[in-house]
Amino acid sequence: MLGEFINPYYLQIGSFILINIILAISIYVTLSSGQLSLGSAGFMGIGAYTSALLTIHFDLPILVGIIAGSLVAGICGIIVGLPSLRLSGVYLAIATLGFGEVMRVFFVNWESVTKGAVGLSGIPHIGRELLNFFRDAGFDPSSIGMRNNQFTYLLVLILLLLINIFIIWFFVRQNKSRVGRAFAAIKMDEKAAEAMGINITYYKVLSFTQGAILAGFAGALFAHVLAYISPADFAYHRAIEILIFAVFGGSEVILGAIFGATFMTIMPEALRFISEYRYMIYGLVLIFMMAFRPQGIIDENIMQWLKKKLPSKRGRSHGSRNQKHM
Amino acid sequence: MVLEIKNICKNFGGISALTDVSIRINEGEIYGLIGPNGAGKTTMFNIITNMFPPTTGDITFFNRRITGIKPHNITDLGICRTFQNIRLFSQMTTLENVMVGAHCRSKAGVLSGVFRPKSQRTEEQQIREKAIELLELVGLSEYHDVVSENLAYGQQRRLEIARAIASDPKLLLLDEPAAGMNETETANLFDLIKQVQARGVTVLIIEHDMPLVMKLCDRITVLNFGKKLAEGTPEEIQNNPAVIEAYLGSEEDDEIA
Repeated sequence: MLGEFINPYYLQIGSFILINIILAISIYVTLSSGQLSLGSAGFMGIGAYTSALLTIHFDLPILVGIIAGSLVAGICGIIVGLPSLRLSGVYLAIATLGFGEVMRVFFVNWESVTKGAVGLSGIPHIGRELLNFFRDAGFDPSSIGMRNNQFTYLLVLILLLLINIFIIWFFVRQNKSRVGRAFAAIKMDEKAAEAMGINITYYKVLSFTQGAILAGFAGALFAHVLAYISPADFAYHRAIEILIFAVFGGSEVILGAIFGATFMTIMPEALRFISEYRYMIYGLVLIFMMAFRPQGIIDENIMQWLKKKLPSKRGRSHGSRNQKHM
Repeated sequence: MVLEIKNICKNFGGISALTDVSIRINEGEIYGLIGPNGAGKTTMFNIITNMFPPTTGDITFFNRRITGIKPHNITDLGICRTFQNIRLFSQMTTLENVMVGAHCRSKAGVLSGVFRPKSQRTEEQQIREKAIELLELVGLSEYHDVVSENLAYGQQRRLEIARAIASDPKLLLLDEPAAGMNETETANLFDLIKQVQARGVTVLIIEHDMPLVMKLCDRITVLNFGKKLAEGTPEEIQNNPAVIEAYLGSEEDDEIA
């Protein structure tokens, strides 16, 4: 029954969108304290390789691998973040881009462990593990009319969706807290923020590291969803792609990053029928964006407008706030 | 003694911006720092808040040496400043600006900010109430949700003062707060600074508006070319021949020329 409606191809694209959203948020978080990092691809690679190697060679559960991958990326984030603090704007962008390139070369050349340019294959697949788990629990996908591979992709999609909801919730809440205000203050005026008692070193490294952890996390998920990674996945073009998610969608608000990642993942697929002109259209869109809307499609003004358009939601949030007061 | 500035010198390359300046500020005072443009007044503020270090000399705050301490720790100790060229967080609302000011008097980190335990909610509520109260103090009650770059100039200056007070300073440094204000606004500013003083805050103020300075300050130091020219009560300063020559006299020269 269900099997007729669910196309694994669409589910796979859905999964890529969700992973890309995490990457877009990673660049958004770093940008929210005014730092433009192009190292996301490098951190993504660290997360992916760490998790893949741990699960392949030490037979660790995927969950442990993913957590380790994120942490290792985070630690590298601190190590790169601290000396990069003196840099700002385009200089930081160049330094982090250099870091990404160093990582790629590292993955290519450390052949005994990373298998070089050939890449790592046979990485445990999240979907298959989940399927096994459900089978052990005595559940058969065919009982709801699905083939195994459909069920697998569906499980991955649902899992990634839950993860995304948590991450978005986390950073929306953080944004509205003392930490979020400190990030915004540093972004708007570093000197004034310092004069107001904000420890800018701490908060800049914090936001840089959060971005690194997220990118590493997305990388680890990427490895376990694709089951195959190679250094080319984390090269220069990936860094630019992630940057474009935020630049196109809008880097001022989290919804912008989400929109950018979604749109930029769907578009190449949707434009497959004119695939020869795909990248041309891609480029044109970006040129027009930069000329007419450099802040990205979704900015603060649109968020304000959306809030006015959705009065019911607004009313509800006011209601809950009143309850808290009591 | 709130602040003791001892023999401060500051050289930028070969130019000496401040030469052997010493100032002592008592608790509860409003202390004026005046002088012609380029006399080194803002440089002095930057040294007190350690935006950059002095070449030689020391500064103590309640008998504690603060030279070499990071700017954000100085705010933590109880010195906060405003800026000559307004430096608000321009895309934040008025209320958010003041809430940022309370940063060093609150503690919530990432996890408590996200998961919001009761302590965090109480703290956030307190910060908000404090910010609302301070906006009332500076007369911006109606502008809570206005993005600060859309405020009028005089309002922005007052918002900067509110933001600085939100850090509960014992010493408030005001850098030309009346610049660009009309007479009514200046009169309001006078009342505001007096109210700040009444809260037990010591004030050090740089200002070019002489009537305001003379009315407001308990004591004044005059700087000229980075050197201390005179110190005393407003009356003493007004009658000091050196000050008249260097400060007021030069204007007459300009007019003749």
